[in-house]
Amino acid sequence: MAKSGRGPVPGPASGGPKGTKGKSGKGGRASVAAARRSSGDRTQLIIGGVAIVVIIAVIAIGLVLHSRNTAQQGAGYGTSTKSVATMDANGVITVTPVGNGSPGVVLDVYEDALCPLCADFEHQFGQQIAKAVDDGQLGLHYRMVDFLDGSSHSGTYSTRAYGALMAVAKGDGSKPGVFMAFHTAIYDAKNQPKENGSTDLSNAELAKLAGQVGASAATQKQISDGADVEAAKKDAQTNLTSLTDVAAKVGRQAGTPTVAKDGVPLNTNDVNWLTNLLPKSGSSSPAPTSSGS
Amino acid sequence: MHIAIGTVRGVRTSLTVGRHRLWDLVGLAARLLLGVVFLVSGIIKASDPAQTRVAVKGYQLLPDGLAETVAAILPYLEIAVGLILLVGLATRLGALLSALLMLAFLIGVISAAARGLSIDCGCFGGGGAVQTGATEYTLEILRDTGLLIVSIYLLVRPSSWLSVDRLARGRVEDDASDDGDDGDEAAAHDDVRGRPADMDTPARRA
Repeated sequence: MAKSGRGPVPGPASGGPKGTKGKSGKGGRASVAAARRSSGDRTQLIIGGVAIVVIIAVIAIGLVLHSRNTAQQGAGYGTSTKSVATMDANGVITVTPVGNGSPGVVLDVYEDALCPLCADFEHQFGQQIAKAVDDGQLGLHYRMVDFLDGSSHSGTYSTRAYGALMAVAKGDGSKPGVFMAFHTAIYDAKNQPKENGSTDLSNAELAKLAGQVGASAATQKQISDGADVEAAKKDAQTNLTSLTDVAAKVGRQAGTPTVAKDGVPLNTNDVNWLTNLLPKSGSSSPAPTSSGS
Repeated sequence: MHIAIGTVRGVRTSLTVGRHRLWDLVGLAARLLLGVVFLVSGIIKASDPAQTRVAVKGYQLLPDGLAETVAAILPYLEIAVGLILLVGLATRLGALLSALLMLAFLIGVISAAARGLSIDCGCFGGGGAVQTGATEYTLEILRDTGLLIVSIYLLVRPSSWLSVDRLARGRVEDDASDDGDDGDEAAAHDDVRGRPADMDTPARRA
């Protein structure tokens, strides 16, 4: 905005011709030159004005689109309360609605614990996802990767955070909502370390975080001991291979977050990507509480 | 009518007019280059707001709140600048904004390189942290410097073919006299040869 405030810059644009004409106008054609000059100046002003209006209009429309595209979905729902988690032998963590092992829509979610885009994704869609799971409509396979380890302060944060998620899924996955709450906590702006930051979370701090969302003492000890870190390191590689294959199907490089359905990435830049997948009746109920009963 | 005038004058001062036309063609090329670059990069950034936010924050130059604002506005500012340059509407204003943007990008990239950050410039999408050694600062700086030079050229000599500017001015001056876009070319004389336009303008008018 400050820049378009410089708008009168068409001034300089008219300055050149005006200056030279002014000099030549010393002759007998002063009045003609003056008439032309004022006419030309007016044209310059109109052109400059139109340009500024165009710039402001484009930015204004853009900001409306921007706020629409980045609006938090399902705001107010909070964290999941009716989801359970299990982990398979390859470290894939599966989240399903309580009492419904085969929801209508199942998605693969590839994330790195350090990735800021994943945190944005969680912030924008986390509550909508939690509600869809709690409503019995959605299941998730979390496939964590750790390729941002090198950008973390400790050099191992992504792997250790994956290990912590494993521990919670194994130890407390059957407690409704605990795994998803921990997953959300990992990406909370208060907790997620910065890339190339001066600090990150130790295993003990990850354990404490898990405890805050309901993980048992045994699970916390498992995390602070780093007991699942080796497994996480191995499984993260498998997940990365899977992610690379999936991303290649749409000509992309492996990146996080990637959400895939039937092995094909979805366009999560479309703010309605999840709404479009879910049954219409479920998505049209606006009040989060209405689904609870 | 317009063509006929051009032809007559072309006969009279074929050398100078030919040279002006050449520079006007250069101006058109500069406008199209910058316009397309801004339009494409703006649309890519606008279509992935989360990535754009990460890219802006990756420079670690602005406080978070301001970075969010910049990330929200920048894509559409680029689209707007691209549009006005493409059609040649207030070309000098577009060139000024383009030069300021390039300057800002250069400061960002050079400072990122100087601070040893490992980021992608996010110039055409992407952005944020990349692995050490995967940075492309030299290429990015060269490209932005090239585009800055093109912007400065247009800032100094904004007149070009097929522009709204030319269309509007031509109409005004057709009304005022027989002399097409004379003022434009007089200005070009100043820029190109560094000598006052009046030296030959009166002669041509006589």
